[in-house]
Amino acid sequence: MTGSAAGIRVEGLAKRFGNRTAVEGLSFEVAPGEVFGLLGPNGAGKTTTVRMLTGLLRPSEGRGEVGGVALPLVDDGSALRQRVGLLTEQPGLYDRLSARENLRFFMRLHEVDEKKAFVLANRYLERFGLTGREDEPVGGFSKGMRQKLAIVRTLIHEPQVIFLDEPTSGLDPQSARVVRDAVAELAAEGRTLVLCSHNLAEVERLCTRVAVIKNRLRSVASLTDLRKAGHALEIRVDGPASAWLPTLAALPFAPPSTNEGSVLKVMLTLDAQAPDVVQALVTAGARVHSVVRAARPLEEAYLELVREEDTE
Amino acid sequence: MSSFHLARALAVLWKDFLDLKKNRGLLYSMAALPIVIVVMPIGVVYAYVSRPDDGNLKVMAQYYDTAVQGSDAVHFLVEKVLNDWFVIYLVMPIFIPILISSHAVAGEKEKRTLEPLLSSPVTPLELVVGKSLASLAPAVAICVMAFVLLCIGVDLVAAPLGQGLILPNGMWLFGVFVIAPLFAFFGNGIAVLISARVGDARTAQQMSGLLVLPLIGLAAGQFGGWLKAGVAYYALIGAFVLVLDIGILLAARRLFDRERLMSRWG
Repeated sequence: MTGSAAGIRVEGLAKRFGNRTAVEGLSFEVAPGEVFGLLGPNGAGKTTTVRMLTGLLRPSEGRGEVGGVALPLVDDGSALRQRVGLLTEQPGLYDRLSARENLRFFMRLHEVDEKKAFVLANRYLERFGLTGREDEPVGGFSKGMRQKLAIVRTLIHEPQVIFLDEPTSGLDPQSARVVRDAVAELAAEGRTLVLCSHNLAEVERLCTRVAVIKNRLRSVASLTDLRKAGHALEIRVDGPASAWLPTLAALPFAPPSTNEGSVLKVMLTLDAQAPDVVQALVTAGARVHSVVRAARPLEEAYLELVREEDTE
Repeated sequence: MSSFHLARALAVLWKDFLDLKKNRGLLYSMAALPIVIVVMPIGVVYAYVSRPDDGNLKVMAQYYDTAVQGSDAVHFLVEKVLNDWFVIYLVMPIFIPILISSHAVAGEKEKRTLEPLLSSPVTPLELVVGKSLASLAPAVAICVMAFVLLCIGVDLVAAPLGQGLILPNGMWLFGVFVIAPLFAFFGNGIAVLISARVGDARTAQQMSGLLVLPLIGLAAGQFGGWLKAGVAYYALIGAFVLVLDIGILLAARRLFDRERLMSRWG
């Protein structure tokens, strides 16, 4: 494995709570400047993974390095926590305190220069539309405002490695876009970002590579490779493609299919199924204009990986 | 090795103190107890002093000490009620830190603020120290203020006895400035330890609140005449609580574990 002064690398990471294994066999690397997606269904071990990488939980097995700090930690982990920023699933703000007081508290915990940190914080507050609300108690904030303030709190100490759990949860489309832009900028600055999300469209927009986990690592790949790993076909036919969906459904392997105008999108599990699909359509009377291999949507690739796990 | 950063402990103290200042419900709860503890003995002393010739006072005094003469009954009873009352006063330095500290960790878990907090560089020790100071400082301050008001009130209503200042006396000064802080430390420590294990502040308060029961038992023993309160008696209780405080100090460091908090409640 290569070194990763500001990135992440883990090897055989596992966490057990008593007899229950939350997650095991995690090995991957994330380079500085990369936005890495951590995908998996509920209870798959994403949160446990992030907690191990941020020093909140001790790994039961394995080793690694986050932001240049070795895991398992040999001390109280303060150095690691100075270098990482964690946006938790719940914003976790102090309701009776104002936005400014919430931020000041975390600045003091991180022992950063408050003046300098507030310059950065004010920039984000303005960008997220929270300017003018800094001195109001957070208890009166909407869900979206709380989420945006929590993001600012995650960034005030300028962490090298940033973990974001559902960063656009509860945000309107405009605010979500602002957050996505900020994520892209942080990556461009050379920071390492790990994005946990069920919003696959967002993952597709932001991440270059993803890890799919379900209690163990299912796959680590670039989005392009993940999509290619499937066997999808785009078949252009005469007339509305929807007319041929029953024909495909009648095939012994009944491939999941969708249509858009005169194009059929067919998901296959094996390359060898492609001739059977084309033959079935032609036999049923379809005039086939073209057949091309298509990239699968990330959702398909993800569901397939998660399904594989279920059948094992 | 972990190093202790005072700045981070003070940040926790600052935040908790700010939160307390804005928590009106908690402030009202904290104010109620000192009012009762100050007003009640003043009322009892007033009752004795206002009827010095009441023959029942001599009977009451002789129940506790057969050597008391009729003319000394009021003075004896005033002194006895103030000596005995100190054990009730000790409910305050235990209970106020419990009210505040129950929010310390259980409140953080309840409001889902614990994970962001524990993901910051603050260490468990800094967290405990910061939160304990935020609870102990107001508790000790309230106890001292209540004592000052008690002295003023008792001396005013007891003025007709013509015996000068009854309070402060040596026992109360020793109690307020030595024993009460030890009790405050004890109440705070237990509340923090329980808060670290239960899911919400209310449960933590209810469980920690059981600590006042032994004091009620002692009070019953004193009022029943089986226990005789005085400097040596309270010093003995204080020494016992000091031993408990040392145990709490050791347990707090060992039990206030970042991973345990996260895996159980985070």
